[in-house]
Amino acid sequence: MSKVTELYDAILCGNLKLAVEVTETALKGGADPKALVDTYMIPAMDEVGRRFEANEYFVPELLIAARAMKGALQLVRPLLLAQKVQPVGRVAIGTVKGDLHDIGKNLVAAMLEGGGFEIVDLGVDVSAEKFVQAIKEKQVNVVCLSALLTTTMPGMKDIIKAIEDAGARQRVKILVGGAPVTRQYADQIGADGFSDNASGAVAEARKLLGIAAH
Amino acid sequence: MSMTSRERWLALFNRQKPDRIPTDYWATNEVTERLQRELGCPTLRDLCNKLHIDRPDVIGANRTVTKHPVIPDADIWGMRYRPVDYGTGKYHEFAFHPLAEMTEVEQIHAFQWPSPDDHDFEAARRQFAEHDGRFPLLCGYYEPFLRYCAMRGIEQSMIDLVAEPDIADAILQHLFDYHYRLNARLFELGQGRIDLTFVAEDLGGQASLLMSLDHIRRFILPNQKKMADLARSFGIHIHYHTDGAARAVIPDLIQVTGIETLNPIQWRCPGMEREGLVRDFGDKIIFHGAVDNQQTLPFGTPADVRQEVLDNLRIFAWPARWICAPCHNLQPISPTANILALYETIWEEGRL
Repeated sequence: MSKVTELYDAILCGNLKLAVEVTETALKGGADPKALVDTYMIPAMDEVGRRFEANEYFVPELLIAARAMKGALQLVRPLLLAQKVQPVGRVAIGTVKGDLHDIGKNLVAAMLEGGGFEIVDLGVDVSAEKFVQAIKEKQVNVVCLSALLTTTMPGMKDIIKAIEDAGARQRVKILVGGAPVTRQYADQIGADGFSDNASGAVAEARKLLGIAAH
Repeated sequence: MSMTSRERWLALFNRQKPDRIPTDYWATNEVTERLQRELGCPTLRDLCNKLHIDRPDVIGANRTVTKHPVIPDADIWGMRYRPVDYGTGKYHEFAFHPLAEMTEVEQIHAFQWPSPDDHDFEAARRQFAEHDGRFPLLCGYYEPFLRYCAMRGIEQSMIDLVAEPDIADAILQHLFDYHYRLNARLFELGQGRIDLTFVAEDLGGQASLLMSLDHIRRFILPNQKKMADLARSFGIHIHYHTDGAARAVIPDLIQVTGIETLNPIQWRCPGMEREGLVRDFGDKIIFHGAVDNQQTLPFGTPADVRQEVLDNLRIFAWPARWICAPCHNLQPISPTANILALYETIWEEGRL
């Protein structure tokens, strides 16, 4: 497996080609797909997150790391499914109604995916009904709401209310984030968690689900 | 005797004490329409006069070509848009990125870029001649990476900086050439009349820079300096905008680009604390904005807004230099009472 440490480095440096090659070789050599995820991919994305929070990495570095991670994960995921390996959590994520800004949402989704979560990406301009539907139909246990605009941020409150009205509030932890969103606002609207950055969102989701960090 | 709005702004650029803190106005169309309606002001200038706002006049050249020659239903940049309704207003979001799929530098060069020649410079010439000089005159706009992201998609644009530097260079060069030639024409036409030019790039996110300082130095600053040098050669001041937590890049903006103002001062972002900015940069730049548009104006009370303006006066007013304005465009979610509190407070308390 020594060559596989290259997977960690490839993700950290955002080298998609190398990440895919190393993963292919490892899988052909009989590597355990879950071990690849747990030993190399999740720790690599955790390190990406650490560097992002330490202002060593910025959005471009985060994006290329996520791209490399996704390339490797694409090869591994069917095997995990075949082995019935459960994700650490299942997350429905979307930018709220009226808001089409998705880079923050995509970064959070990528970091969560890199942290072992399964992502149900609802996209942008997502209505309350779609979030409720995702909870009911996709068995998600985390909902992430994103907003860039002060004008769309209040829509988060309506979505939480719709989830309550649908009787689904107890099934999920709700995380909110986006430029104008604060911890105070998250508390005010009854969200369970908040983060002002993509890496922090993973830590927050793990905390809420009682998952130990790697 | 009180100064004109232009004298007030220029006093700050000349490091002289104005009679009062100059003010500016940034807002979405919905807010301007609402305020005009509620305050009975037929035009934006009427509104500004009613609220004692020293907003600059802006002169540019209208395009004589408005459609892309090759891409159907697209503007001169090859962009298509779609309106997005957020309940209290609408904005136009990009619906098509013409450079998104390109993988080779040759494709970037082969793209039909707009020409600065396709503008009505005669109309601009007349406007310059007719400008009465009561308000500062702003001309020229340069924010290439914003346009880059629009044409290529924001994620790929960010990835380009690391993974496709040749493509990044090619796109940025085309954008620079267009704006440089356009601004040069306008600066010549308005020679001696133009006070300010707008140079911008959103380098800060909510908590930190969006891209590394190395990338900013490599891709953004050299052309920004050339554009600022062009303006300076015409005696035009550099009015600079970057959103967010941009503290780490301010020394470069001062030293390389030669910025004279910094807008919008999102002081709630890490590193953008007002006292620290005044301490470290107060002798070098004019602070423009600083009335918070993410919490105070939309969600605070008129009393909160008033207190914030008073705090800003205490921190930023002379010998630091401040132009009072909202942090970026006022949004429809901000109540009229809060907007009035901003401008009433600075009018009542802003005398220096």
